[in-house]
Amino acid sequence: MPAGLDNLRHIVVLMMENRSFDHMLGSLTAVNPQIDGIAAQLSNPDTNGNPVQPQPLAQFQGQLDPDPDHHFPAVDLQIFGGDTSPNRVANMQGFVKSYFNQQRDVGHSQKIMYYFAQNQLPVLTTLALEFAVFNRWFASIPGPTICNRAFAHYGTSFGRVDMNPIYINEPFKSIYDRLINATPKHTAKLYYYDTTSSTMEVANLLQNQPELFGTYPQFLNDCGTGNLPDYSFIEPNFNDHDSDSGEEVANDQHPDHNVQAGELFIASVYNAIKQNSNLWKSTALLVVYDEHGGIYDHVIPPACTPDQFTASANDTGTGMQFAFDRLGVRVPAILVSPWIPRGTVVNRTFDHASIPATITKFFLGDFSPRSPRETGADVFIEPNGPAVDPARNLLSLANMRNDCPDFDV
Amino acid sequence: MTLIHVPRPDMRSAMDPGRPVNALLKAQVQHLHEAEKNLPFRHRTDIYINAIKTEGEAAEYIRRVTEAIHEAHAAAAKKRARPVIKRKRGIAIAAAADKRPVGKGPGAGGQKKKSTGNRGRKT
Repeated sequence: MPAGLDNLRHIVVLMMENRSFDHMLGSLTAVNPQIDGIAAQLSNPDTNGNPVQPQPLAQFQGQLDPDPDHHFPAVDLQIFGGDTSPNRVANMQGFVKSYFNQQRDVGHSQKIMYYFAQNQLPVLTTLALEFAVFNRWFASIPGPTICNRAFAHYGTSFGRVDMNPIYINEPFKSIYDRLINATPKHTAKLYYYDTTSSTMEVANLLQNQPELFGTYPQFLNDCGTGNLPDYSFIEPNFNDHDSDSGEEVANDQHPDHNVQAGELFIASVYNAIKQNSNLWKSTALLVVYDEHGGIYDHVIPPACTPDQFTASANDTGTGMQFAFDRLGVRVPAILVSPWIPRGTVVNRTFDHASIPATITKFFLGDFSPRSPRETGADVFIEPNGPAVDPARNLLSLANMRNDCPDFDV
Repeated sequence: MTLIHVPRPDMRSAMDPGRPVNALLKAQVQHLHEAEKNLPFRHRTDIYINAIKTEGEAAEYIRRVTEAIHEAHAAAAKKRARPVIKRKRGIAIAAAADKRPVGKGPGAGGQKKKSTGNRGRKT
């Protein structure tokens, strides 16, 4: 087995909030043309029919207020440009129109096309250039947070496309259940920032299995003491609040929360792993965003294996039912490990169902039953077995890198 | 090895607990409210969630219910772990003596004796 996979003991997933690929990493095409970001010919029409081009004018805070709509009907408009005919074709031409609907202000609606310059996001862009960046990682559903995050935990949203609580009464177990009940037993933890931020996985996991949870300070401690579980899922701070240690600024990067606070948080997760040399060589960190938050991206989401659920026309709010047969808008995703060659760009297609698919295949080999969406999803780390396809193995270096960057946090 | 400088946000402008709650926090509050309904009464908050308008108010509610969920589970675990107290032998004998002999009277044949409301008293 390749040395990187042979050493791999821990997989950590950090899921941020509501930013599209082009918005965060689109600037990197100028540095590495293999990265599919902002190109000169891209535009969206405003409501006067004038083309609006993406511009590197994004600000850390105060620009995307109100929060751009990213519920199912709005994302449908963003992807299909307002075409509701039966044989419509996705064109990614409805982002400015969608944002206009919220304030009826043509000038303000154009801000949805803005992206960050590389030097504004030193953490995310450095990780993308230094390790593996995914050109085709999409949200699981063209819709909001809760149902997309459900895909990361269960490989399905059980038919939901909205923000309502998802009650699990179906046979698909969470990735945490699968691991902790396996033989031999594995370890898994969902780290939320603190009790005042809590977790989005309330309705099921927190309510019924609070022992699965830890806080971010516990994550830092577990990294320092070498007690990180096999699988860790980290949630950022979702709100501004006071704590015993002072003011805690939301660092989830959800509009209109401060993007620089999120950069610091991503860097602190990276540093916590890297500062323990044993952990660094045995851990892969995936940094990914749950959905695009209504912000412009130019890549058309592809069709995918339908799930075994269908959202009704009433539930989608579009007048059309949805068979979970198309992915959501593209989001930033980066895999970090010292066994990954610098400048790796991955062109295979992934979505959040790839997370439980990968964790299951790597640690357990197989598990049944799993949702059709999860079994159809690609894995970003090859299964822990004797026959590894070198073309698919991202942790491909024979020797661990010693030139990985450090962040001054 | 390169050291990358990470700029810090301006805390004065970044921090705003008075910011109106976004859709995500609203959903989180609603989810916690659903979870709260399943808690024993003594662990529930008395916060009316429809009155939550700001991020700071949402944060306070989220904290209280999250802590309550953990406390309720900890209390249940403590109760489960408590050793079972065995009854003294003498009491068991006394209870057996209370039973009506099989095959005699209207309560015979394994029927349950109806409560008289005078439990423990001699009649």
